[in-house]
Amino acid sequence: MAATTARRGVGLGLRHLAYAVIAFIFVLPLWWAIVSSLRPNGEVFADIFPFTAKALLPSPFTLEAYSGIFERGFGMIIGNTMLVALITMVAGLIVNGAAGFAFAMFQFRGKTIILTLIIISFMLPFEAIALPLYTVTQQLGWLDNIAALIVPSVANGLAVFLFYQFFSQVPKDYAEAARLDGVSWLNILLRIYVPLSVPTCISAALLLFIFQWEAFLWPLLAMPSQQFKVIQVGMAAFQQQYQTIWNQLFAVSVITALIPIALLLPLQRYYVQGLAGAGIKG
Amino acid sequence: MTQSRTPVLLIILLLVPALIGLVVFRLYPIALAVNDSFFNVLRGNSVFVGFDNYVALLTDSAFWNSLKVTLWFNLLINPIQIALALGLALLYVQNFKGVSVYRVLFLIPIGVSLPTAVIIWRIMLSQDGLVNGVIGIAGVPAQPWLTAESLALYSIIAIATWKGISYWMIFIIGGLQNISPEIYDAARIDGVKAWQRLIFITIPLLRPTLLFVLVADVSINFLLFAPIFMLTQGGPAGSTNVLMYEAYKSGFVFGDMGRAMAIIVVVVAILLVIVGLQFKLLSGRKEAR
Repeated sequence: MAATTARRGVGLGLRHLAYAVIAFIFVLPLWWAIVSSLRPNGEVFADIFPFTAKALLPSPFTLEAYSGIFERGFGMIIGNTMLVALITMVAGLIVNGAAGFAFAMFQFRGKTIILTLIIISFMLPFEAIALPLYTVTQQLGWLDNIAALIVPSVANGLAVFLFYQFFSQVPKDYAEAARLDGVSWLNILLRIYVPLSVPTCISAALLLFIFQWEAFLWPLLAMPSQQFKVIQVGMAAFQQQYQTIWNQLFAVSVITALIPIALLLPLQRYYVQGLAGAGIKG
Repeated sequence: MTQSRTPVLLIILLLVPALIGLVVFRLYPIALAVNDSFFNVLRGNSVFVGFDNYVALLTDSAFWNSLKVTLWFNLLINPIQIALALGLALLYVQNFKGVSVYRVLFLIPIGVSLPTAVIIWRIMLSQDGLVNGVIGIAGVPAQPWLTAESLALYSIIAIATWKGISYWMIFIIGGLQNISPEIYDAARIDGVKAWQRLIFITIPLLRPTLLFVLVADVSINFLLFAPIFMLTQGGPAGSTNVLMYEAYKSGFVFGDMGRAMAIIVVVVAILLVIVGLQFKLLSGRKEAR
């Protein structure tokens, strides 16, 4: 008995060791970025040659990098990106939720074809159409207009699919019973189906938010004068402009990463379940 | 009260916003790219040139080099990412005390955008950076990770892989959770070893999920842009000059939109052929779910 317990203990220990090594690789870049953003610029590369464990600790400690980037207007860029991402998220939930509901609830001619077309065309990464989309945006007169960042990103195939999948699973009896009681379709959608779909809404919202937060090539093309900068483009420009202000580069990266991570960690269950479900049927 | 079976007006209202998005921002740009690839801009005027832009690509060594880089890059990065994502997913679904901490840590790169990852890794891979410091412990001399022709492409693969595999892991977890535990119990009773269970049970049953991940991953990597734009701008000596970057350079640096669109059309066409082949070769017999 004692021997098996001991062996199990060693097994568990080895397991933790293996997992810890892998987790370390995943966390190390972000950790080093955080540590270095808290050092004075002259000390970023200290303790690396020869390498000591002190390289992974923020010493000497200073917040000057953070005050520095906000003096350079980084707060404005965060605000811009939040605005774009939040509007896209809300509009995207309505548009994609509505489409998903229609596909799940009703039978109509051409449904399968339209659904397949929507999903396939939206599966094509944004990069593939970014260059021609620039011409479309030019024709619409939207270059350098915030609409160019938001409107093309609202409809999202993966989000339509998430909602379609969810609404298909809800028993049709609910809708039929309500219809017999004379409730209108719109009320059925708003009173019954929307409240049921909150978990799906959360995973779709995260998807849309992260998509906009990470957008790079499109804002680079659609905002040629760069009056209105979003975070990824602002960060890349910052990198080119201030090549050697390492601690501020790190501070910019840390803020850019921590905002979506702060959203993801408490909501990871919804995100994982939502995407994982899409992959099985997809 | 009239109760029509299908409320046509409502269906139209629900679908129209998404359909407009599809037509204006997806289908129309594709048509426009094809159209524009038949034109050249000369002194501000669009001139129809037929297939000239495509014919020019055939004898354009920069294009062929770029195509070669793109294919080699994808031949490496996709199998690497999917194998590592599968391994990571297998670790994620294990149950033991304290595993939830690691699960959270495995997800961290999802929150780190590719441009952010690029900036952090660029400094990590610099001459005085952390990576050279760590390999210095083992006595390995510092390497020019991003500025050597022989290393730059592989450094980009490493960065994109670090950033990407957590995301693909999520889809594979979904597939793993869909396999009924009884199959494993039966196999265990029959004395099937762990690696045999992986090869003969897990991977075949995961096929639909792996196919989805493969197709989605290839589509993204085929069009990868940000790391090349930010790190190497196609260099050194064209060694990281993928087609997406060549198209961008053509259109937005040299102002040759006709050539840029022709390259985009070629990229998307190659991508569609690859995705089609993957479906044909890998979906095969549908596994029972």
